[in-house]
Amino acid sequence: MVGEKRRSTSKNLAKNKKRKGPHLPNSILKTIANEKRPLNSDEEDDEIDSDDANVDLYEYEEGVPEEESRKNNRYDPVVNYDYELPEDFEDENVESDDDDEGGNSDNEEGEGDVVRHTRMLQAVTGMPSAAFDGESKRKPVLFTEAYPESEFNPTRDVLEGKGLLTIDDFMAPIEGKPGFNDLQKRISRMQKDTQAVVHAPLPKPERERLERKAVKGLVDKEFNKWVHMVKRNREAPTVYFNQNVSLGYSTVGAIASEFQPRTDFEKKMASVLNDNELGEAHDEDGAKLLELNEVSVEDHIKYRDHIAKMRSLLFRHELKSKRIKKIKSKTYHRLKGKDLKKSAMGALMDPEMAKEEAMKQEARRVEERMTLKHKNTGKWAKRMISRGLNVKYDGTRAAISEQLQINATLSRKMNSTNDGSSSDESDDEEELNDGSDQDTPSKLIAKAREKTLKTVEDDEVPNSGLLSLPFMARAMKKKNEEAIEEAKRALEEYEEWENSGGEENSKKTADVSGRRVFGATAKVEAPKESRKDSDNFYDNSDSDNDMEGIENNDLRAVRDTASPVRNTGAITETEKFDDDIENPASKTTFDVALFASGSWKKMKGCQNAETKKKTKKHVPYSKSQDKKESRDEESEDSESEAEQMVDGILTSASKETYEIPSQAELIQRAFAGDDVVDEFEKEKQEVLNQEVPEPEKPVLVPGWGQWTNIQKKRGLPSWMVREHEDAKKKRTLDLKTRKDARLRHVIISEKVDKKAEKLHTTTLPFPYTSKEVFEHSMRMPIGPEFNPATIVGSLNRPEVVKKAGVIIKPLKFEEANPNEKVDDEHPRSNQKQNPKKGGKTGKGQRKGKSKQKTKA
Amino acid sequence: MKIKTLSRSVDEYTRERSQDLQRVFHNFDPSLRPMEKAVEYKRALTAAKLEKIFARPFVGAMDGHRDGVSCMAKNPNYLKGIFSASMDGDIRLWDISSRRTVCQFPGHQGAVRGLTVSTDGNVLVSCGTDCTVRLWKVPRPTLEDSSVSSENFIEPAAEYVWKNAFWAVDHQFEGELFATAGAQLEIWNHNRASPVQSFQWGTDSVISVRFNPGEPDILATSASDRSITIYDLRMSSAARRIIMMTKTNSIAWNPMEPMNLTAANEDGSCYSFDGRKMDEAKCVHKDHVSAVMDIDFSPTGREFVTGSYDRSVRIFPYNGGHSREIYHTKRMQRVFCVKYSCDATYVLSGSDDTNLRLWKAKASEQLGVILPREQKKHEYNEAVKNRYKHLPEVKRIVRHRHLPKPIYKALGIIRTVNDSKRRKEDRRRAHSAPGTIVTKPLRQRRIIKEVE
Repeated sequence: MVGEKRRSTSKNLAKNKKRKGPHLPNSILKTIANEKRPLNSDEEDDEIDSDDANVDLYEYEEGVPEEESRKNNRYDPVVNYDYELPEDFEDENVESDDDDEGGNSDNEEGEGDVVRHTRMLQAVTGMPSAAFDGESKRKPVLFTEAYPESEFNPTRDVLEGKGLLTIDDFMAPIEGKPGFNDLQKRISRMQKDTQAVVHAPLPKPERERLERKAVKGLVDKEFNKWVHMVKRNREAPTVYFNQNVSLGYSTVGAIASEFQPRTDFEKKMASVLNDNELGEAHDEDGAKLLELNEVSVEDHIKYRDHIAKMRSLLFRHELKSKRIKKIKSKTYHRLKGKDLKKSAMGALMDPEMAKEEAMKQEARRVEERMTLKHKNTGKWAKRMISRGLNVKYDGTRAAISEQLQINATLSRKMNSTNDGSSSDESDDEEELNDGSDQDTPSKLIAKAREKTLKTVEDDEVPNSGLLSLPFMARAMKKKNEEAIEEAKRALEEYEEWENSGGEENSKKTADVSGRRVFGATAKVEAPKESRKDSDNFYDNSDSDNDMEGIENNDLRAVRDTASPVRNTGAITETEKFDDDIENPASKTTFDVALFASGSWKKMKGCQNAETKKKTKKHVPYSKSQDKKESRDEESEDSESEAEQMVDGILTSASKETYEIPSQAELIQRAFAGDDVVDEFEKEKQEVLNQEVPEPEKPVLVPGWGQWTNIQKKRGLPSWMVREHEDAKKKRTLDLKTRKDARLRHVIISEKVDKKAEKLHTTTLPFPYTSKEVFEHSMRMPIGPEFNPATIVGSLNRPEVVKKAGVIIKPLKFEEANPNEKVDDEHPRSNQKQNPKKGGKTGKGQRKGKSKQKTKA
Repeated sequence: MKIKTLSRSVDEYTRERSQDLQRVFHNFDPSLRPMEKAVEYKRALTAAKLEKIFARPFVGAMDGHRDGVSCMAKNPNYLKGIFSASMDGDIRLWDISSRRTVCQFPGHQGAVRGLTVSTDGNVLVSCGTDCTVRLWKVPRPTLEDSSVSSENFIEPAAEYVWKNAFWAVDHQFEGELFATAGAQLEIWNHNRASPVQSFQWGTDSVISVRFNPGEPDILATSASDRSITIYDLRMSSAARRIIMMTKTNSIAWNPMEPMNLTAANEDGSCYSFDGRKMDEAKCVHKDHVSAVMDIDFSPTGREFVTGSYDRSVRIFPYNGGHSREIYHTKRMQRVFCVKYSCDATYVLSGSDDTNLRLWKAKASEQLGVILPREQKKHEYNEAVKNRYKHLPEVKRIVRHRHLPKPIYKALGIIRTVNDSKRRKEDRRRAHSAPGTIVTKPLRQRRIIKEVE
């Protein structure tokens, strides 16, 4: 554009020259030129500047477009090339400026003439106006330059792109001279060879920018290779910096291997140790030693013989002890036992003996404690002390101190042997009980009978507590009846036995075989089972409860029977127990009584040992019954009767006419008392009243707000009434706007609980995306009291684990491991709830707009 | 009668040693412990309170310089050593544990502006306004050194005079190059008297330089034309440059994330950038009320420490907008340099009041040997506190910090100014056609442009 303008101005100038004709002096021409220059000087300067900056060499070549230069006919000739120009074309403006400055008004006409002329030519020939332009320009023009030609003031030819020097210009003078042809050829060759043309280098800023672009890419690539490591680090629940801490040598071997001898002694030692010859010798010796290690035949035989000897000795000892055991002489054994007892070893070896010894010791201790025999209370000792003889004579003093010593040893408590627990004691009691029975079996039986009768007669019902409840009472009554039945049966049996002359029978029972045991035990157990059934029927609740109830009544009887015998017992009698089946009958009744009282279960529960014995006791009982079959049958009958009776009770309960009610009826009956809906409504009203309290009704306080009697007639002051009305309205409004106003079955409290408020956040904390996630994050406790020790550590582990005093090195590059991800999954899926992870992983790789991730 | 009792064998409950723990059995059924959450909340509250009670971050001051401390350098190979230099040309090596000067490095005529140590900890490089770069051989730490109180002086191993004054120096990680910042960025070798490489982009002087610890050939500089530039030594060319609204005083690379760097800006904020995309900060760390003078990353890469002209030291999480901790004392003046210790346990600050100060990185941390049980307890407390930190009671205690009056007031003013600005912006937006007023996000607001 600039070039064009200039061309047009120069053209104008030329035209001016041509048309105007007047020969102006040089000075005027100069001023005119100066006047014109500033017009375009800005642009020119700019251009030069920009040229300098960009060194746009191509712009000159591009100045003349190809279609204009018409080098080839690729472009169609444009018909109205000039006509298209609009009126306000820039040229015109520029020219008008020029004209104004120059004050050449007729320039317009000249221009118009030219245009008209070309138009005419065009119309005649039909050729483009450019053709005629060229024609017109071909006219010789004379320019006078104000300044000498230089790079800052180029000639017009240069500016127009016409007067460029070419190779031909240089060649022209030497044409026809020798060597010209050669030169010509070479030049033409060079001109053809476009490859060898070296372009001008890019300007420095441009070059550097390109360089930086390349570097940027490389640096980015360099950074990108770290991404996987950074991502892994960021996503890890814990980063460890306390690893790979080498604390020097780890083993003694490692330390020893690094040992360097320093002192003379160490050096000497080292020289000896490292001597090859010595080493070889040692190796040889070692081999010899190994050879020596072999066991010779003689040694082996010796060893074998020794073992054989020992075995034979053992065998002989065994034989001897067998022989001694066979000896029947009581005196021998008694003497032997005494010997054994005397030796402390004996006490240690035999637990029975130890126990006996302990008992004796205890007795002695008690005696000592009671009598204080050895505590210088004797007549002699008192006398000695009162007279001060013990000080005077060494012998006396020694004797007294000896006495005291004896006292001390005797009264020392022996606790090592006393290992009986409470249950054992009770066991013993029972056993003692049984043991003492042997003396007076008939008496005991009689006593038991008495007790049974007593229990049968007095069946008192407790007045208070759980047992006083009607259904409990009923159940107890049933049970009592049953028990009484059994007790009666037992009594009957007892009477039968008595009638048959119990003593004889009992003696006979001692030698019966155990063949028919089963029937008898079954018989004994039958009533128990039936009772159990009844239990289940009457109350499905815990059977232990009612058992206790009965126990209160009946176990006392058992205890009473046991009580008189309690003190007379001796432990050794337990052994004898097995033998005294002489008076089984008494025990059977006793057992039955127990059964009848209903406390059998309890007894069984705590005394397993006893039950064993009981089964044993049952044996003779059954035998006695078996002997007399007739009676047996009777008893069976009675038993069956009892069962029937029990059954009778059962049936009586179930045989009542009973219609199964319908479901609705049942429900109605079940919830007969409570009107849930009504209750709820009441409750809701209460809540409403509490949260939105009803306004207080204005009360006229006498003397307040009154001046005269007249006012009294008016009643409440209007403002009070109005206020009350307002408050009421407000309340109804409040009630209507409540959330639960329309929900009939719901109460939504709108009261803010201040205490609970501190446990809520006002907004969702930042890293969390939803309320659920946030709440979930503190759902499970993490403390050591609430979690197993194995996971507490991982639950509480901080995000960065480091150790004071361990230098942390910067990150080292590792190649991404494709298998890593699979391995990583496991530790990450551990218990630690990490809400940040969800948010992080998504953002982690977003290079562009990745926001900073927050630590949760 | 059978009585049910707890029966435990004595052998199982007998400890082998008196120090052994008693066996305790727990039933972890949550239905048996309905109060567990309440218990933990209470514990969190207690932990927060205890943390406040035990927050005693100041360990001690190191006094000895006769002028303001201008720069520091930590020995990457030796925890106890820290180098510091002051405005009067004094360089000292301190023993942190005894807080005494181990030795001095006299020689600089003017202020020392840059100090750095090679990765092996053998060579100390210093430079300053006297246009010299000096290399010193660092004395090997021995047992005697710590006990002997006499200060010894060390002669420079090399002294290179150059054309311009220096503003900063930094050593390559595990290499033998170091870079100085002055009129231009220059790369030096230990054994050459003149720089091996020199970079210039624009005419303004470079005021800080920092090598990337992860990528030893990449370094970042900030210049007084408010620019931050990343260079690559292998390509011997700059890679990126951004121009910000205010000058960047210092730069720190994240040692665990080699692509990320944080710039301490004159406007009181720090800007974390991704080296691959500089036209937007990844995070703006605001809290200082005056220019941030220096910044140093924790070796864990999870937080960094900044020292500010507002006489405070702050510790920021690497991805958090606000500081986790503020340290200040009555006597501490403008902080010119800060360093995080190599084990991420301590923070050092050097200030105008000629003192170096040693702080704990975690204010309430218990120093010394901690038994495993104690450690577990601490961890549990921390975990519980962390879990309930969003609830108002705990939050209030955890966030509470005492501030010096000037900072508190300045914060108030800043808040007011920001509020009014925002209000104005809102109104403007409300009263103009939608879409005509575009607000830049905070992360881009202070960045003018990225230069190609």
